[in-house]
Amino acid sequence: MRRRFEDISGDDMAAWCALLNDDNAIHLSREAAAAAGFGPRRVNPGPANLAYLMTLVGRDFAVLDAQFAGNVFEGDDLTAEVSQQDDTTHARLLRGAEVLVTAVFKEKP
Amino acid sequence: MDQFAIPDGRYLLSAGMDDLVRRMAQAPARTDQRAHPIFAFVAALGGLGLKIADLSAALGLAFERGPVLARCRIGYNAPLLVDRHYDVRADIEALERKPSRTFGAADHLHLSIRLSDDYPRSQTRLHIIYPADRA
Repeated sequence: MRRRFEDISGDDMAAWCALLNDDNAIHLSREAAAAAGFGPRRVNPGPANLAYLMTLVGRDFAVLDAQFAGNVFEGDDLTAEVSQQDDTTHARLLRGAEVLVTAVFKEKP
Repeated sequence: MDQFAIPDGRYLLSAGMDDLVRRMAQAPARTDQRAHPIFAFVAALGGLGLKIADLSAALGLAFERGPVLARCRIGYNAPLLVDRHYDVRADIEALERKPSRTFGAADHLHLSIRLSDDYPRSQTRLHIIYPADRA
């Protein structure tokens, strides 16, 4: 199963930060992102990227383990994909062929 | 690490906040009281007894240089529900400096954050990497 998440919103990043009580300027300012070495676009907060995968999984689970290998930037077009194997769901978030987040979801027993 | 105790906090998870997260995460509308599962992370960090920026400063970590999330593990005992307050208790599990190909050196912070009301709801473990000046 796959789903596209297109044109990631820079304005939403500020809303995520408010919910997270997080002042990390790389999410809020292009200048700060550039100064920190991330390039000219704001960086999406990690939990936002994980939330896209949770949305695609779309059901209750007991445990998840996620690794964040790359950053998502404002304007990015992403693909989320999941595959099921017994009680385990494997999920990935990609920009083109680049894997940005991998996550393993375990179902409730 | 036992040098710094993170103060307990609380987080109000409102229906409006859940609506916002569902819109941003392109999730279906809520059909009962259960919040989007990302709130195990959002409420954990958002409800810390001090901002992550202030926690970072207290630990001597370079928050202004843009820390990044490396890994998270979440265990759910029960769903988080909207329009509830949650108690937020957190511990520093580890803080260590390591060489970094990207930054030269980096500080690795490991946090464990538990959410509960009258029942333990979730445990979120975060691994956050901060650029550092030297190994």
